[in-house]
Amino acid sequence: MAATLKGVLQGSLADNVKNSKILVVGAGGIGCEVLKDLVLTGFKTIEVIDLDTIDVSNLNRQFLFRKEHVKKSKSQVARESVLKFNPDVDIKAYHDSVMSPDYDVNFFKQFTLVLNALDNRAARNHVNRMCLAADIPLVESGTAGYLGQVTVIKKGLTECYECQPKPPQKTFPGCTIRNTPSEPIHCVVWAKHLFNQLFGEDDPDQDVSPDTEDPELTAEAGQSALQSEAKTDEIGGIERKSTRVWAMNTGYDPEKLFNKLFRDDIKYLLSMETLWKKRRPPQPLNMTQLPSDTDGNSSAIRDQRQWSVKECANVFSDCLGQLKKELATQGDGGMLVWDKDDETALDFVASVANIRAHIFGIAMKTRFDIKSMAGNIIPAIATTNAIIAGLIIMEAIKILSGKIKSCKTVYLNRVPNDRNRLLVPCTLDPPNPKCYVCAPKPEVTVVVNCTRFKVGALQDKVLKSYLGMVAPDVEIDDGKGTIIISSEEGETEENNDKFLSDFGIRNGTRLKCDDFLQVYSLVVTIAHVEKLEEEKEFEVVGDLSELQPQEEQQQAANGSKPHNGGDKADEKEEEDDLMLIEEEEFEEEQQRMEEETRTTRKRKASSETEPTTKRSKTAEAQAAAGDNDVIEIS
Amino acid sequence: MTADTKEENITEDEAALYDRQIRLWGLDAQRRLRAASVLLVGLRGLGAEVAKNIVLSGIKSLTLLDPTVADEEDSMSQFLIPRSEVGKNRAEASLERTQLLNPMVKVTADTSNIDDKDDAFIKSFDVVCATGCGTTTLKRLDRVCQEGAVKFYAGDVFGFYGFMFADLGTHEYAEEVKKPKHAEKNVSSEEEGEPSPKKAKVEEPETTTVKKSMKFPVLEDALGAKFDSSSSEGKKKLRQIPNTFFITKVLLEFLEQQKRRPASSSLEGDKKQLSNLRKQTLDTSGVSDNKMPEDFTEYCFGQLSPVCAVVGGILGQEIIKAVSQKDAPHNNFFFYSGTDDGGFVTSIGS
Repeated sequence: MAATLKGVLQGSLADNVKNSKILVVGAGGIGCEVLKDLVLTGFKTIEVIDLDTIDVSNLNRQFLFRKEHVKKSKSQVARESVLKFNPDVDIKAYHDSVMSPDYDVNFFKQFTLVLNALDNRAARNHVNRMCLAADIPLVESGTAGYLGQVTVIKKGLTECYECQPKPPQKTFPGCTIRNTPSEPIHCVVWAKHLFNQLFGEDDPDQDVSPDTEDPELTAEAGQSALQSEAKTDEIGGIERKSTRVWAMNTGYDPEKLFNKLFRDDIKYLLSMETLWKKRRPPQPLNMTQLPSDTDGNSSAIRDQRQWSVKECANVFSDCLGQLKKELATQGDGGMLVWDKDDETALDFVASVANIRAHIFGIAMKTRFDIKSMAGNIIPAIATTNAIIAGLIIMEAIKILSGKIKSCKTVYLNRVPNDRNRLLVPCTLDPPNPKCYVCAPKPEVTVVVNCTRFKVGALQDKVLKSYLGMVAPDVEIDDGKGTIIISSEEGETEENNDKFLSDFGIRNGTRLKCDDFLQVYSLVVTIAHVEKLEEEKEFEVVGDLSELQPQEEQQQAANGSKPHNGGDKADEKEEEDDLMLIEEEEFEEEQQRMEEETRTTRKRKASSETEPTTKRSKTAEAQAAAGDNDVIEIS
Repeated sequence: MTADTKEENITEDEAALYDRQIRLWGLDAQRRLRAASVLLVGLRGLGAEVAKNIVLSGIKSLTLLDPTVADEEDSMSQFLIPRSEVGKNRAEASLERTQLLNPMVKVTADTSNIDDKDDAFIKSFDVVCATGCGTTTLKRLDRVCQEGAVKFYAGDVFGFYGFMFADLGTHEYAEEVKKPKHAEKNVSSEEEGEPSPKKAKVEEPETTTVKKSMKFPVLEDALGAKFDSSSSEGKKKLRQIPNTFFITKVLLEFLEQQKRRPASSSLEGDKKQLSNLRKQTLDTSGVSDNKMPEDFTEYCFGQLSPVCAVVGGILGQEIIKAVSQKDAPHNNFFFYSGTDDGGFVTSIGS
């Protein structure tokens, strides 16, 4: 029966709901709520996809799951639970990644609507492209703590998910992490790098040893440090070996590792005197001479109690032993993957980060706090997810009523704006004609040094990571059709270590990039430069950068004024597209950096006729940005 | 509110289960939640949403109270009642699924009519949340709650529309405010050509917790608010009142008069009745015709699940806020209209 009861849904809407076929992408916090609302409202044919399994920390909000379901498939358990609410629904569950080639454009084409309930940008980008390719309306959503948002994307009618540039990934300069940390997060990042250096995948970008190429060091200072390095006996020598090999040779001896990492390397850093002229110099620690325990509130649970340095050293020792054993079970060439939910892995990072923080005079943190930082945990609650899911269904209902043009972007605020709105609807914007995804002929410019940038980096860092392709094919537009990257395995792997210039790619070269799965073609124009700012390897510009000044102009036209929380009625209506996303946590360091607390806002003149909302939510956004719980993608 | 349990520390199990919310509202708030007993009156769609949200949050106990039996309409929003239980008491039929949401919360069902309960019963709770009640019942509950210093909430959903009302009496709460940042000492430009100095230690954005207090108007004053649209000030005030307030008044009046909700089984007659009540309400409130769209009768039958989710989400969060005594509560109405995506917090009756 559901809401298709007489008198509840108007006109043909009840039938449209019954006859529609809905894809729900994600069965987490928002997904559980969406599924409940769908089956109750009378939707009859639903498919849900999620690659994740259930964790205890999901149970405070993902109410379709219970303790006995932990470690089971989210999509499958969600299906079973929600069928109890309404057994007359046809639900198909996929325990799989939506980015898998199995879900091609024909798969998407079978749906009336796609509802996103995702927690990461890569999947959102991908579903956005699939829905554009299939020309199926998409309802996009996200929550973070008390805040949330819903929007509607329809090819040719609205902005797509990627029409506006997203804030860049937040990364820390290598020398800050390796030489001059000043915040707890720097120590946490270093500790995770150390984990990978000792037990995980070897990544040259995650070196933990002192960095003699720190731009702060003058040539002279660097030289003297190098000389002192040459003088030191085995300690200096080990810099030349990989941390992993050295650690293995010592049998992961806790004292040897401790004294190398926290005494000798620190002494070495101290020899780079320039670094410490204006900074508090770090203080080397010797494992056998640690500050004595000053244990305060032992009543608190382990996670919440601040460990002493000595305690950290003990945890460090224990973890080394355990991780060494775990690594051994992996066999030759095996490795461990850092996971915030692995107790030992987290203990290791918590102890190491705190020891390093102590050395550099940085505030030490509880294991609870370090888990947030290292695992990039975004707080999530049932109520926000319920509200956002409700709003998703309301937009879906509008689309099914044939009123897609009256769909809105709706923001859930923490406090009402000065027009008393707690839920703020904003008009949907038309597509950005220069969008590198949904424009008729997408183009983008990539700035690199062609003699130093490798084909492998073009594939992984630019096309996949930054531009969101899944399996790109790249052909040089040189009349010969030279293929430098192929999505077919084994065809072009040998190119990965070659530089762009090895293929004659230079300033102005055009590359035809295709993603077959996404039905997406992009022309990349290469702009060659000798050196980019801030150690950057590449930059994506052109159409993207052209957007920036335009926005600033509009902002100025709106009579933008300082937003300090003073809520005065603003006569000029304006829209805030505070795009906050992310419901869950991200495992990947890159994503972690990318999605970290950040506020970027876009404001523009209102085109809405009714005198709604539109006063800025800036004060709110700013306040929220301080909370560590907002991920905003504008 | 009893504060004694505040001393008890959160266990490792609780910390694991409530991890993602403790990271949002902190351990103190979670301890207060664990001490709270809540009475939920009315177990239709909105009641189910509120029950779900607050049981998941980890309150101490929840009493589900409803004397009525489940019917066909429950299938569109009441997910706590199995379909096989149509004809059974709503509170009892909701018990099992509510309890499964969180075994740490004590959940009980009560099949009484709230009007038959004495004042002492009502005053024994920390929070009373009444859904699906008429105005006489609501006003009495509000009065008793204020006498007993119980936090009182009311709410309902009619089709695409929904509201929440809160009377927390004089409510004390803590709010985190940012400290003004101390100007950083600039020691640069001392020596030319040196790398720019960096602070050895970056302070985290400092916040300080401030105790605040807020007073709420009673429901009687809030519902009885008159509007003077002849003066410019009255007009201005009226502009801030969303249409959904008047729609809510009409529907509460319907409930009061008919002792039932508008039903799809009596669709046409009920629509007519609602239209009449619309005229009356506009007249007695002293507001013009355009404050309430005539076609609202097309959108106010049943309880739409997504609307219950929105209103129940706000209501649930407000209960959590009040119990944890953290952050400023919404004073005193929230209105939602699914016809135009409007969601307003409005103070009426103060």
